[in-house]
Amino acid sequence: MNRPLIQLSHLTKHYLMGTTVVRALDGVSLSIQEGEIVSITGQSGSGKSTLMHLLGCLDRPTQGEYWLDGELVSSMSDRQLAITRNQKIGFVFQTFNLIQRTSARDNVAVPLFYARKRGVRRAAMQALERVGLTHRASHTPAELSGGERQRVAIARAIVNEPKILFADEPTGNLDSRTGTQIMDIFHELHRSGVTVVLVTHETDVALQAKRIIRIRDGRIVDDRRVDDGLREEMATGGRSSLPERSPPLARPAEV
Amino acid sequence: MFFFRVCLMALRSLWIHPLRSVLATLGVIIGVGAVVAAMAILEGMSARFASGFESMGSNKLFVTPNVRRRNNRLVGNFDSLKLDDATAIARSCNAVDTVMPQINSSVLIKFLSKNTTASLLGATQDYQKINSHFVKEGKFISRANVQSKASVAVLGAKIKRELFGGRPALDAKIKISGAGTLGTRTFTVIGVMEEKGNVAFTDVDRQVIVPVTTAMDRLYGLDSIQAIVAEAVSPSDADIEAAKTQIKRLLRRRHKIRAGQQDDFQVQAQKEFVKQFSQFTKILGIVLGSIAGISLVVGGIGIMNIMLVAVTERTREIGVRMAMGAQRSDVMNQFLIEASIVSFLGGALGVLMGWGLANIIERLTRVFETLTTGWSIAMALGMATLVGIVSGIYPAWKASRLDPVEALRYE
Repeated sequence: MNRPLIQLSHLTKHYLMGTTVVRALDGVSLSIQEGEIVSITGQSGSGKSTLMHLLGCLDRPTQGEYWLDGELVSSMSDRQLAITRNQKIGFVFQTFNLIQRTSARDNVAVPLFYARKRGVRRAAMQALERVGLTHRASHTPAELSGGERQRVAIARAIVNEPKILFADEPTGNLDSRTGTQIMDIFHELHRSGVTVVLVTHETDVALQAKRIIRIRDGRIVDDRRVDDGLREEMATGGRSSLPERSPPLARPAEV
Repeated sequence: MFFFRVCLMALRSLWIHPLRSVLATLGVIIGVGAVVAAMAILEGMSARFASGFESMGSNKLFVTPNVRRRNNRLVGNFDSLKLDDATAIARSCNAVDTVMPQINSSVLIKFLSKNTTASLLGATQDYQKINSHFVKEGKFISRANVQSKASVAVLGAKIKRELFGGRPALDAKIKISGAGTLGTRTFTVIGVMEEKGNVAFTDVDRQVIVPVTTAMDRLYGLDSIQAIVAEAVSPSDADIEAAKTQIKRLLRRRHKIRAGQQDDFQVQAQKEFVKQFSQFTKILGIVLGSIAGISLVVGGIGIMNIMLVAVTERTREIGVRMAMGAQRSDVMNQFLIEASIVSFLGGALGVLMGWGLANIIERLTRVFETLTTGWSIAMALGMATLVGIVSGIYPAWKASRLDPVEALRYE
């Protein structure tokens, strides 16, 4: 098997809240191969956001090792983390997070700008083309619909041709039809070779991945391939949460 | 290229809040305006003084009665200088070249039905040489005129125009009277001076020049003169000092002043005036400079304040930029450049304001001539930009230290 794109071993993140230590992540080990499409799911407070922040190189773990694309991210400096985010990672957020009063094209160009690349305009237009929004390039976020905004955000996430795309509740602020369109774009990107990690608490969205990792209380409680059996199980088990399987695996992703 | 894009970005974010940007820079605008106006006035004054003193010649000494102000009253001997003193200086002080006694006063001149006020100068044939101011029509006062106390007058260019317009003035009879005169006296116009403007703060074109002896005897009934202008043989410090010493020694002997007694006259070299003036402008410069400095500090605080607001307001944007790969230094630079651009633009407005202010002052007072130099503009803009950078450092640093996770969560 190839070297995994992401490899976590015993990743821990503790916060200090007043005087109490919050164990947001408590010894998570996991690996994701290049080209996978994975959902990370769990209820709010489960630690899935913390996990995404660590995976997305926005934060450093308290303990444990994180290897991304053969590099040890967990001991990188702020500067190296910023470069890694710029070169290898794309983010899509629930609230789009576009820069206001700035055209779609300029928004898409932001990562190129920090990469100090030339030919910014053309690259930005190409990224917009991949999400089918070239005709809206000069519009500002306020002039775009929710779905269009998220497509601009996706174009921005992929403009630097990252290895991996993190989507945090990407359809959370969209109606179901627009949500489906956005999910189609992710599938499209996945087919073209981008590794996609969806962070969501919505079962429908989670099930669109090929693998689901479930987090609770800072630990991975479930990690398995999506098959018809799971779909059925989840359809009967309720729409918004995955059924719990016991006993939870201590280290579910042995590779 | 990168820098250029950051500048564009900064301009855009300023444009979003035009009123706020203007308010933020108000301090800088006022500060820079004050600097530019102050410098314009100072430079104008210096230029005028310099040319004024230059036109007077730098080897001059002024001998005047020792009159001092005490308890708001003038005390001392007003009539200690005599015509003979001037003659004696000319004769026996070898460091002195030319000597001219003079009387200054203000008079009313009448020609037929026309009146005008003028400053009267009682002088000698040496006036032209000493003041480099020459007669244009007719002739100047001669030695013979002085000796004979002739009732002749030479008119300044403006006085001539006011009384005669385009008509010839030579040989016309004018009547001169004024406070302190023995009565109205008739003078014959023998010459008209060339136009020269201000010489050391006197408008010589509004002068009427008569023989000093005539002014003393016929016009005022005085036996003393008001001042003696002496020219040293050269403008070198040694010669001026020598001339000064010789004049002092001679006058003390002539006025029978004993050792230990105070002089009843004073001798001042023109160079001393220049020194006094440059000291005055230095002090004025410090005062105006500190006013400007204070408003620039206030301006800096304004900018810091607005930048802190901008950082807080755009916390989420900063988080997004960091997530997209912005280095901490990129964020820092973005806000620093933004602060300096606001400040620079404020400075540019301030330069316009200061320049306008200087012009208004010049028009209203008619005393100050102002001079806005490229150097003062460059300095003001440089200072404004510096203020922007300095006051932007803390907000920019704060922005760059944000935690990306926290920043992204910020509502």
